[in-house]
Amino acid sequence: MVARAAAAPSVQPIAYSHKQHLALGLECLDCHSSADTSAAATLPSVRKCMLCHAKVAASNPEIRKLAAFAANHREIPWQRVYGFPPEALVKFPHAPHVRASIACDRCHGDMTKATTAELQVKHTMGTCLGCHRQYKATEDCAACHY
Amino acid sequence: MTHTQHRWGMAIDLDRCTGCAACVVACHAENNLPVSTPELAAEGRTAHWIRIDRYYQGEFPDVKVKYMPVLCQQCDEAPCEPVCPVYATYHNPEGLNVQVYNRCVGTFYCANNCPYTVRYFNWFAPQWPEPLPLQHNPDVAIRPGGVMEKCTFCIQRIKRSKEDAAQEGRPLADGEVRPACVQSCPAEAMVFGDLNDPESKVSRLAGNGRATKLLEELGTKPKVFYLHKAT
Repeated sequence: MVARAAAAPSVQPIAYSHKQHLALGLECLDCHSSADTSAAATLPSVRKCMLCHAKVAASNPEIRKLAAFAANHREIPWQRVYGFPPEALVKFPHAPHVRASIACDRCHGDMTKATTAELQVKHTMGTCLGCHRQYKATEDCAACHY
Repeated sequence: MTHTQHRWGMAIDLDRCTGCAACVVACHAENNLPVSTPELAAEGRTAHWIRIDRYYQGEFPDVKVKYMPVLCQQCDEAPCEPVCPVYATYHNPEGLNVQVYNRCVGTFYCANNCPYTVRYFNWFAPQWPEPLPLQHNPDVAIRPGGVMEKCTFCIQRIKRSKEDAAQEGRPLADGEVRPACVQSCPAEAMVFGDLNDPESKVSRLAGNGRATKLLEELGTKPKVFYLHKAT
């Protein structure tokens, strides 16, 4: 099964730049903070963004949008880019892959060059199995399909 | 069949079982099983991954009822496996008899060949009346219509426990994995664990003199052990 169709950059509610944040020294886990401990990588809450952006670049029009979400106690309606539809009947946990030192860019592409999230790597069963075979990880169907 | 690390098995003490069916309810909730209607029940199309068989002894009014929870026996020589033309059911390295929904084309051969009749076919896409869809377990697939399904020994819980242990850098403890039926049994009649570990509770119960296997004479080598007083 193929992953959900990529959300076009323009559909994201805020023109967030991965490139800019990574260049400033942030790491993936700083915002996607559950990737190393749980199944879902998770998106940060708007309050986490505001930890910096209450002060940093507060006059930028995109940051004003962010501040408006925060002021209204609303989360940012990010459009999901990666993930499997329920009918794919597949489960993917991030944590074991992070534990196995699989770099994020292996599945998500080089985000140091990307602005808003977009689908860079197609997640097919071939993508998964190619890597699992290379690293001699499990090829048991029930590892993912249950 | 060699097992890499774990070999999951279950022991059910029939002298403890009161037939309360808490295991059946827990299994339904945990594994996203559709609820049945009287019409479906009349057609024999209710879906239960575990059921309570009843056996009556004696004549009225001196009747004794014996209860037996019957779930997939996770046979080592599973009759369902060799008949599947698309390899949708197979033995995984931990001894689980796995059903891969993506592969299943619904030939029904496996259910025909199961002597325990514990496989269930989705004749239609499952439906739940509101608000039951809100309590679906996100760790378990919603099976589409046209595929076979059965007890998985709560593989999602096995994975969760293994993941928790790996995250904490320790081996999995005996009794840490508890399928929904085992967790919900008020009489603690059901015990789940690793048969490869001779010290595990389930291994000790399996070696108990009261332990028997269901339809053992068929040579299916089940991994569910039923304990009851020899009569």
